[in-house]
Amino acid sequence: MNENNQLRDAFDAIADPTRRQLIRLLAEADEIPLHELTAQFQMGRTAVSKHLTILKEAGMVLDRKVGRETRFRLNAAPLREIQDWVAFYSKYWSTNMLRLNQLFEEEEQ
Amino acid sequence: MSLALSMDFQYTTSIEKAWSALTDSGKLAKWITENDFKPVVGHRFQFRHQASEYWDGIVDGEVLIVEAPNRLSYSWATGNEKHTVTWTLQDLGDGKVNLHLDQTGFSNPQGLEGARYGWGNWFGGFEKVLEQ
Repeated sequence: MNENNQLRDAFDAIADPTRRQLIRLLAEADEIPLHELTAQFQMGRTAVSKHLTILKEAGMVLDRKVGRETRFRLNAAPLREIQDWVAFYSKYWSTNMLRLNQLFEEEEQ
Repeated sequence: MSLALSMDFQYTTSIEKAWSALTDSGKLAKWITENDFKPVVGHRFQFRHQASEYWDGIVDGEVLIVEAPNRLSYSWATGNEKHTVTWTLQDLGDGKVNLHLDQTGFSNPQGLEGARYGWGNWFGGFEKVLEQ
């Protein structure tokens, strides 16, 4: 699973809707401070921070201190593993079922 | 959460042709990939896809159930995943056939969640992320 020795499985990291929302928010900006991220959720700073820690363990989020605040940014590389996995299933069934349809159409001709 | 995938596909064809497409090695090669499949219970086969960075492309299987032309089941193993794929064919009349796919044995909820999410709505936002 992990080429970067990440502590946590990428799928574990995206299994939670809050974390998927965090990824989406971070994808839309270069860098976001914790308080701005927290403002987007119906939960406290500590809870958001815990979710960010899980994303960090999966290598999907990087953080740095700027003065008193911590800013977060997305590291999309580990998402590659998910894309490949999903693409594999998606390719296997969806694309293949379209090809199966083509096969039936050819047979009718 | 049940770790199973269930899908239906409808085609304009006869149930015999649909069965043949699911069980004939030459036809499977046209819509899945190169393979040595035979519709014989106990037969071991491989589907050989193009390898990628994360996947060697090999699916190892063993035929479990052959009930022409209605039911076909085989194991389906790749990497750490070992699934069971079952096809149920139903003649809907008017030259229509329903293909029902059950796939069970996902090894972890994260994997299935990942797949479900991917099938649902991942790709749009996702490609944007990768382009950055």
